[in-house]
Amino acid sequence: MSEAVAGAPPIELIGLNKWFGAFHVLKDIDLRVQEGERIVVCGPSGSGKSTMIRCINQLESHQEGTIRIHGRSYGRDPRENDAIRREIGMVFQSFNLFPHLTVLENCTFALTWVRHMPKQEAEDLAMSFLTRVRIPEQAAKYPLQLSGGQQQRVAIARALCVRPRIMLFDEPTSSLDPEMINEVLDTMVELAESGMTMVVVTHEMGFARKVADRVIFMDQGEIVEEAPPEAFFGAPRYDRTRLFLSQVL
Amino acid sequence: MNHAAGPAAAPPPAEIFRPRPARRAPPSTLGVQGWIRQNMFSSVPNALVTVIGIWIVYAFFDALFGWAVGNAVWQAESRRECLDEVGRAGACWPGVIAWIPNLIYGLYPKDQVWRINLAGLVLLLWAAPLWLPRVQSKVQIGLSLVLLFPLFASYLFLGGEKGIVWSALIALGLAAFLWTLLTAVTETVFGLGIARFAVAALGFGGQSDEARRRLAIAVLLAIYVVAVIAVQALSLPFVPTRVWGGLFLTLVISGIGIAFSLPAGIVLALGRRSRMPLISLLSTTFIELFRSVPLITILFMFNTMLPLFLPVGVEVNQLLRAIVAVCLFSAAYMAEVVRGGLQAIPRGQYEAASAMGLGFWQATGLVIMPQALKIMIPTIVGNFIGLFKDTTLVSIVGLFDLLSMSRAVGEDTRWLGLFLEPFFFVTMIYFVVCFGMSQYSLNLEQRLSAGERR
Repeated sequence: MSEAVAGAPPIELIGLNKWFGAFHVLKDIDLRVQEGERIVVCGPSGSGKSTMIRCINQLESHQEGTIRIHGRSYGRDPRENDAIRREIGMVFQSFNLFPHLTVLENCTFALTWVRHMPKQEAEDLAMSFLTRVRIPEQAAKYPLQLSGGQQQRVAIARALCVRPRIMLFDEPTSSLDPEMINEVLDTMVELAESGMTMVVVTHEMGFARKVADRVIFMDQGEIVEEAPPEAFFGAPRYDRTRLFLSQVL
Repeated sequence: MNHAAGPAAAPPPAEIFRPRPARRAPPSTLGVQGWIRQNMFSSVPNALVTVIGIWIVYAFFDALFGWAVGNAVWQAESRRECLDEVGRAGACWPGVIAWIPNLIYGLYPKDQVWRINLAGLVLLLWAAPLWLPRVQSKVQIGLSLVLLFPLFASYLFLGGEKGIVWSALIALGLAAFLWTLLTAVTETVFGLGIARFAVAALGFGGQSDEARRRLAIAVLLAIYVVAVIAVQALSLPFVPTRVWGGLFLTLVISGIGIAFSLPAGIVLALGRRSRMPLISLLSTTFIELFRSVPLITILFMFNTMLPLFLPVGVEVNQLLRAIVAVCLFSAAYMAEVVRGGLQAIPRGQYEAASAMGLGFWQATGLVIMPQALKIMIPTIVGNFIGLFKDTTLVSIVGLFDLLSMSRAVGEDTRWLGLFLEPFFFVTMIYFVVCFGMSQYSLNLEQRLSAGERR
């Protein structure tokens, strides 16, 4: 049982390689995320950005390389792996709320079944996070009765309930109506201001400019460029990055 | 915006958009007559189809009603009397009425029939709390019903000698029944299960958690002791399964088949999807084997070939053989239904559960299965209905289910040749049961999805 190492960076990817069948999706990825750092990952579709963050909480397994979360690396013991991934909250593009449970039950779900917290305490905690994402009044509804933006904010509250130390966002605004994107981004900005370590895959360049400590650009399974937002947007080094930015900005 | 100089370039102030209030949809002005004209007589062919259709329906029901009610004979001593009175123009119901006890209970001894009725009553009372809104322990009650009711009922049906182990199991069934009744009452009235209610009622509220838990266990044990004493006092004569028959036998076989097939189907479906090659191979083989063979063949195999594989002297009851065959057959079908339901659940649901730190079993049991079962309700109930009707096939291995019992009426010397009327009667029973199941599934579907639609 490897314990969390004090002072170890929250996320370390060292020489990460992954294949889907014969297709080489991730090529020698090296990435180190510091405590409280906000990373925005962008790149064309199929560049491996989603796969990379899904590797961080082992929704995808990798074939080569090491992933360390607070100094602990994933291994063969599934319980140990589950313990590591409980440090990590994840928000998905398609929300993935549980449609058969109410908003409140979605939020208390992991508290009840993973943390074994008493019902009342779990509900109080869940309500405090629903208040934080500004939808406490929807607690008794079912997810499909909410708008996309509201659902995604519930998903953020649900991920926060278990008090993760790292939050991963996999294109959180890509399936939202244009008018709802901002309500989700605002929630994420607030979260960033609270000092959470975040890795965000997104095409929202405004968000990257405003919040990111570092922007990472990926293409064809590689990290092409990584730089602070001013440098990234002001003076990208590679032609590939410039081409991409000229398309999205 | 500095380059666009000059006051003329300032945009006019924005007009305010006020959404119009929504209006009611215009009411339908059609009326009954208009609706009929529009939908049934809109053109010559349409009118023709309507007239012919109504005539066919009328002619059919007129003939049926004339036979079954209008010209029917209700009192007679034999089929001869019926024929003398109305010939073949009307139904001869006295034969069916005289045989009703046999159609329902088979050849079960008349003075012991109360045992079947009692079991039916216990089943209803046991299941009733599942529909009471204030009862919280529905999962426990449902599980105890499926697992322990058969223990208790099988003694009521079979009777005879009971050894120590068998007595203990029967008492367990009875205790679970008593617990269900008491809990249903205390939860409805006080919102507490019987054990916790007893603890509170006895004034142990202030004691430590440990003491209260011990007392709660003591209450449960007390219920079990009462059940043991009751079972000891109960001594029922043995009724061999070969005299079981009629609707009773049909319900026993299909009830056990239904109760077994769903859990077994879930296990098989998960097995087939398993990443462990051996488990997946075994499940797939089992499912494909039993799905590819007609139920009749399986019944024959179990009936005639199973004894050949068993050691000499070991005899497996004929009814039990049929029940096992029906269970395995329906489990294989159910497995494919469940697998279809599982495939309809998006991968993201499993990923979300997994990202929260839930293991495979928790994710499957708490997230995937509840959603999958809900969308599978129509197909599951369809399978149950099929299973209920398929039990008629057990007649070929010499069991007298409802359908074969109905054929026995016409072989009775008094009612010789009376086949149509009992057949009609049995058809109505099958229809009522199956239609009831189908309606209940529709109702269940609507209730479960009520909160979750947009």
